[in-house]
Amino acid sequence: MTFCLSGFRSFPKLWKSNLCFELGPATSSASVFLRVHCVIGNQQRWFSVKPTTPPNSKVLNLLATKARTHKKGNDNDKQVSSEPHYFAAGAAKKRSQLSGHPQNQGHDLPVRSTLQLPTKPLNSKEWDKLKEDFKGKASFEDVVISQMACNCSSVDTAKSLLAWVAAKNNGIVGYNLLVKYLYLCVFHKQTSEVIDVYEIMKAKYKNLESGGYTLLIRGLIHSDRWREALLLLEDIKKVMVPSKKNYDDCIQGALLHQDVNLAWSLYRELLGLNLIPPLETLKAFFDYDKDIHDDHYSNQLLDILLYLRNNQLYPGESFAHSIKTWFESIPGRQWKGQLTTVQKSGQCSSCGRTMESIHLAPEEYEFLKEKIMKDVIDGGDQYKKTTPEELKRFESFVNSCPPFDIVIDGLNVGKMFPKCHESQNLLAVVSQLAQQNLQLLVLGRKHMLRPNSQWRKEEMEKVQKQAHCFFADNISEDDPFLLYATLNSGNHCKFITKDLFRDHKACLPDARTKRLFFKWQQGHQLAIIKGFQKSKLTFQHILSYDTVVQTTGDSWHIPYDEDLVQRTSCEVPTKWLCLQRKAPC
Amino acid sequence: MNVAVRFLRPFARCLVPYTFHMRPSNLYSGVLQRYMSSKVPSLSCHNKDSTSPPEQLELDGWKATMKSSIQEDSVSEVSDKDEDSLAATRELIEMWRLLGREVPEHITEEELKTLMECSSKSAKKKYLRYLYVKENIKKARRIKKEMKAEAREEAKRSRLLETTTGEQKQDFMFLRLWDRQMNVAEGWKGIQAMQFGQPLVFDMAYDNYMRPSELQNAVSQLLESEGCNRRNVDPFHIYFCNLKIDSAYHRELARRYEEKWDKLLVTTTEKSPVDLFPKDSIIYLTADSPNVMTTFKHDKIYIIGSFVDKYLQTGTSLAKAKRLDLATECLPLDKYLQWDVGNKNLTLDQMIRILLCLKNTGNWEKALKFVPRRKHTGYLEVSEHSQEVFRKLKKTKTLSSFQKGSLNARTWKK
Repeated sequence: MTFCLSGFRSFPKLWKSNLCFELGPATSSASVFLRVHCVIGNQQRWFSVKPTTPPNSKVLNLLATKARTHKKGNDNDKQVSSEPHYFAAGAAKKRSQLSGHPQNQGHDLPVRSTLQLPTKPLNSKEWDKLKEDFKGKASFEDVVISQMACNCSSVDTAKSLLAWVAAKNNGIVGYNLLVKYLYLCVFHKQTSEVIDVYEIMKAKYKNLESGGYTLLIRGLIHSDRWREALLLLEDIKKVMVPSKKNYDDCIQGALLHQDVNLAWSLYRELLGLNLIPPLETLKAFFDYDKDIHDDHYSNQLLDILLYLRNNQLYPGESFAHSIKTWFESIPGRQWKGQLTTVQKSGQCSSCGRTMESIHLAPEEYEFLKEKIMKDVIDGGDQYKKTTPEELKRFESFVNSCPPFDIVIDGLNVGKMFPKCHESQNLLAVVSQLAQQNLQLLVLGRKHMLRPNSQWRKEEMEKVQKQAHCFFADNISEDDPFLLYATLNSGNHCKFITKDLFRDHKACLPDARTKRLFFKWQQGHQLAIIKGFQKSKLTFQHILSYDTVVQTTGDSWHIPYDEDLVQRTSCEVPTKWLCLQRKAPC
Repeated sequence: MNVAVRFLRPFARCLVPYTFHMRPSNLYSGVLQRYMSSKVPSLSCHNKDSTSPPEQLELDGWKATMKSSIQEDSVSEVSDKDEDSLAATRELIEMWRLLGREVPEHITEEELKTLMECSSKSAKKKYLRYLYVKENIKKARRIKKEMKAEAREEAKRSRLLETTTGEQKQDFMFLRLWDRQMNVAEGWKGIQAMQFGQPLVFDMAYDNYMRPSELQNAVSQLLESEGCNRRNVDPFHIYFCNLKIDSAYHRELARRYEEKWDKLLVTTTEKSPVDLFPKDSIIYLTADSPNVMTTFKHDKIYIIGSFVDKYLQTGTSLAKAKRLDLATECLPLDKYLQWDVGNKNLTLDQMIRILLCLKNTGNWEKALKFVPRRKHTGYLEVSEHSQEVFRKLKKTKTLSSFQKGSLNARTWKK
């Protein structure tokens, strides 16, 4: 308690000075926060309590809210100007901001280093002295070299530390120190040092561990002895599967030294191990070949593009540029690349070609239907999500009805606008859709039929008049029924829910089925964005085209991720690279 | 290269102190320097760039000694060329240990084989970490044991001195047999429970949903639960249902109980609880149940699924109850506790403690004190709760039977 008080005394001054300094130009409250934290952190440890002296906190809160509303306003503007698609990159983040979940501001306190790191090489006496000053649980050398590795100190400083350790230790330097020294060497690209350490390690230890191997590989590929990196890769293979980064390094090394065949064989090996190659590796292949143009190499690059297509991977921005330059550098073909977007109609803004349709091929559709039935609804135990009786009831119900045009998730729609009670929401949506003469199916649970404040009886009766309804047991899940009813009705059928179905996607057995499901979902899910009371019901538009790497022989369309946009796994990029071949004259 | 090494070796030992305690004008370090520079030509030129030329020799000296000191052991290592992956793994672990990773110091063949069977890299790391933690606990325990033994010796010696000096006769009523008396008494109680006790069923049909580690945990929890039950004033009559002979469960239980397994005062059966008891008196306890348990009923048979579910296969036990068409209930955790973190699934021994407490007192607050403290921030206000009960009763229109002042639900339910 006394500590606290003494801390307080010195505190307001600090605070004021900082606040005055910041208030002038500042709208960003976060920086005020951080600054104060820094000062406090350095001054007194027990003062990591948030600055909550009443008068100041008010100002701060004000600032914070101001900043937040400001930010929100910006986002709103963007939202209105170009309404992102439900599955478009960055859409989820925007939604979360709009619905008032401000992102956690990272209040990282600066890492307090317990000791001052030397900036230049020290001799042994100086190291001795430094050690005497040091107090801590871990061993001094460990802590120092770890900090050096964190702060990327110069190699010479680290070397002087090792020399000092060796002098004390009969010339023996521990493996952990060596590895961290190696890290520094690799980081600073000191190839000769790397080779030295490599020699030492080879002599001293028969086998290394994966971390050491990785560093050595990364360091050696730049030297003349890069082929030894491949031997190290072999060593790793003895005990475990090398990481994709190991392969990446080796491939980069092979490309650096013009051994293309080796690079390709390593790439094939990487694919054979079911590892997903890092995009940098793929980029390196595109970057490598600017001048040599043999058909074999080109074909293999096209294979990479097909790999991207099949695995629904999207290149990053710089990779997209690499692809563009490679295509444009092919002699005699006159490829022309352009960064562009695709219109809602599915036409490329640049060349006007129509993108591939989002709809599944018939056999894919059948496959997906069967998988959903088997893995999502049944899942090895019919009792988990429903009961066999209910399943039978549902199947006979679905078969007795004509194919539906729209399947509605009653509970999801009901809870959409919290201002009205739920049955009112549902009725509004259903009646608006019913006016368009659509065959509707409303899925729900039995408790919706029991009148209460949320679910009114007369409104539910109206709903039942306008649409086919199926009510599952209260403890059954309704989403699987929704999926099955939609799939069963055929390709034209859509479903309405805001749910992203990530949990059901997770039930599917393999990545291919998941991708199929996602594609189908993009093409058939309607998400309501407006429709409250009197305003007309509006949906997020459905993508008519598939966002995937695609070709028509003389054109390529490649979606890519922008560097500054974060994309979640249930979203697709919005930017495209359009490549056209001019007709050879 | 070999020649250079041979030549160096004799010096290697004396070299180290020399180079570092004397100034670098030393002859040997000059030799070393030449050796180094001849080997890696780029190195020396790189070093010329750096800022402090007088310290050069000190900076690189260690490398030579490192390299040379090693050639000796490399001779012995040449012999086992045909290292299989087992040996390689063992060495990998050793290197990781040098790096300060969390891996065990000693690893047996068996554990090594288990490690090799792990499918992924992260599984391997997890298993190694588990072994590491286990080893540390073992070590700490051994040290503690030794210290205790030492202290006991000390005490014994001092007592010996005392007793020899002042020996006096004392009168006692009982011989010291407390533990055994306790056991016998517990046995009597257990037999009574077997005859007249309320059944409590552990459903053991989950062994194929669990991985070996989970199964081990489940068995530990069963042991704990059985112990709790035995010590209680009014024990349950425990049934282990669906316990297939020679299943993993059965083997593990027999292994843990050893010879006590056949003398245990519980009923073990391969039958399902629905075969043993009338269906309408069974209540399956599961956290996924939509029905909340309001009172402990003394005429019902409660079933606890002995299932440790670390991989979150939600709804397994609810599905089971649904299949058998049984009533389900869950504990009213949300009603009484301000839930904070953690899964609502409780361990088996916590469940049986809560049930025992309910059985003897019927007091939820007291019973729920066995819920781990870390999972909730405190009890909800009792008045608030009773208001809720009141509201609910009003809704279901059973208010007429509700007598004021008696919160014990059992009395008014009947």
